[in-house]
Amino acid sequence: MSSEPATPDRTADRVEPGRSLAVGALIGAAVMAAVDEIVFHQILHWHHFYDRSTPGIGLLSDGLLHTAELIALVAGFFLFADLRRRHALAPAHARAGLFLGLGAFQLFDGIVDHKLLRLHQIRYGVDVTPYDWAWNIAGLVLLLAGIALTVRAGRLAGTRPAGS
Amino acid sequence: MTLTAVHPGHTGTGLFGPAVAALVLTAALAYLAAATRLRRRGDAWPRHRDASFTAGAVVLGYALIASLPGGPFTAHMVQHLVVAMAAPLLLVLARPLTLTLRVLPPGPVRRGLLTVAHSRPVAWLLFPPLAALLDIGGLWLLHRTGLLAAGHGRPLLDAVIRGHVLAAGLLFTFTVCQLDPVRRRWGLAWRGTTLLAAGWAHAVLAKSLYATPPPGTTFTDGDLHTASQLMYYGGDLVEIALATVLAAQWYAATGRAYRRDRLLPHPGGAGAGGDGRPGLTPRKWSASGG
Repeated sequence: MSSEPATPDRTADRVEPGRSLAVGALIGAAVMAAVDEIVFHQILHWHHFYDRSTPGIGLLSDGLLHTAELIALVAGFFLFADLRRRHALAPAHARAGLFLGLGAFQLFDGIVDHKLLRLHQIRYGVDVTPYDWAWNIAGLVLLLAGIALTVRAGRLAGTRPAGS
Repeated sequence: MTLTAVHPGHTGTGLFGPAVAALVLTAALAYLAAATRLRRRGDAWPRHRDASFTAGAVVLGYALIASLPGGPFTAHMVQHLVVAMAAPLLLVLARPLTLTLRVLPPGPVRRGLLTVAHSRPVAWLLFPPLAALLDIGGLWLLHRTGLLAAGHGRPLLDAVIRGHVLAAGLLFTFTVCQLDPVRRRWGLAWRGTTLLAAGWAHAVLAKSLYATPPPGTTFTDGDLHTASQLMYYGGDLVEIALATVLAAQWYAATGRAYRRDRLLPHPGGAGAGGDGRPGLTPRKWSASGG
């Protein structure tokens, strides 16, 4: 850990595992949304910018999600920098949070955006079922990895001396 | 009728573009002169603000008088992105009001400007959600009513529309960034939420233009699609820049509070090096940066 509690003569900084986890999750979700935009929309051109079967509510939710993602990305990095500056970062928790965010967004996108709101599909002109399974299983794996890392980070913190 | 050019600026008719371009370039020269005067008398005024204001004035002037690339609707959208979003950001980042107040000698002009800046109507205008409504509401009206088509061939209406686009863009950016001294300061929550809502409305309008052109206009599909994506992703860039301005303000404010807390002994306890309890009780790192 790079941020052990300081020596007694220095004003001690308190490590904040909960906040580290939350900031990691915020960055993870925003990064996954950005990856989706860059890889599948811009590079592969699999997703469509606008799908004519999209209902109005889908357009609305898509716009909100997209805008929130950009703000979350910026806010996440500044919150992260703030944790580091205050020596309050718990790296294991931040990492766990990152995976939780990545997986949660991937699953949300795969189930709510693609299937329930039918914003767009993963790919057009092909049978989309295997793509949907791959997409959602990948999200689930990331989410489970995040949960495992969270449990492990909690155990690690538990074995450390109190006061952190 | 095919609306081949919605802008007089694009076709060269109308005095609005050249007049505003001349005005804003004059403002840039005045800015540079004022900043130089400030530095000569020993005040600190960072050079990047000069660069920002000059860049804002130049791109604004260019977008108003040059013939822009792409189809007519794409050119319209490039102009929207520059006039309503990018140029206002560059101008506002240079803190023009602060500079003006610093450079003006005490007297009726300076007093008058302060009176206006601190007046109640201006305070209302600088309420972030109202500024956003004037800006994005106007954008929706322009693209979702017959206004865009109506402005074609009516120089006066067109000048009013484009004057509003520029003024509302400046107002919105000024209010969200809140870098200059005004009567009422709005917290980060107000300004951040306003940015989120405005970005949302902008993104939805941009995407809807992909499939549905503004009423009364007939643009080609290719032109419409390019313009729509340009509006969507160009809006993203400006939104990221605005979010960075807000986040940097928060970061600086929490940094100041943090250093203050570390320097002063904790009021409730033993202070530094006491009984092993952390001397620093983290404040609520509230989102009220100024």
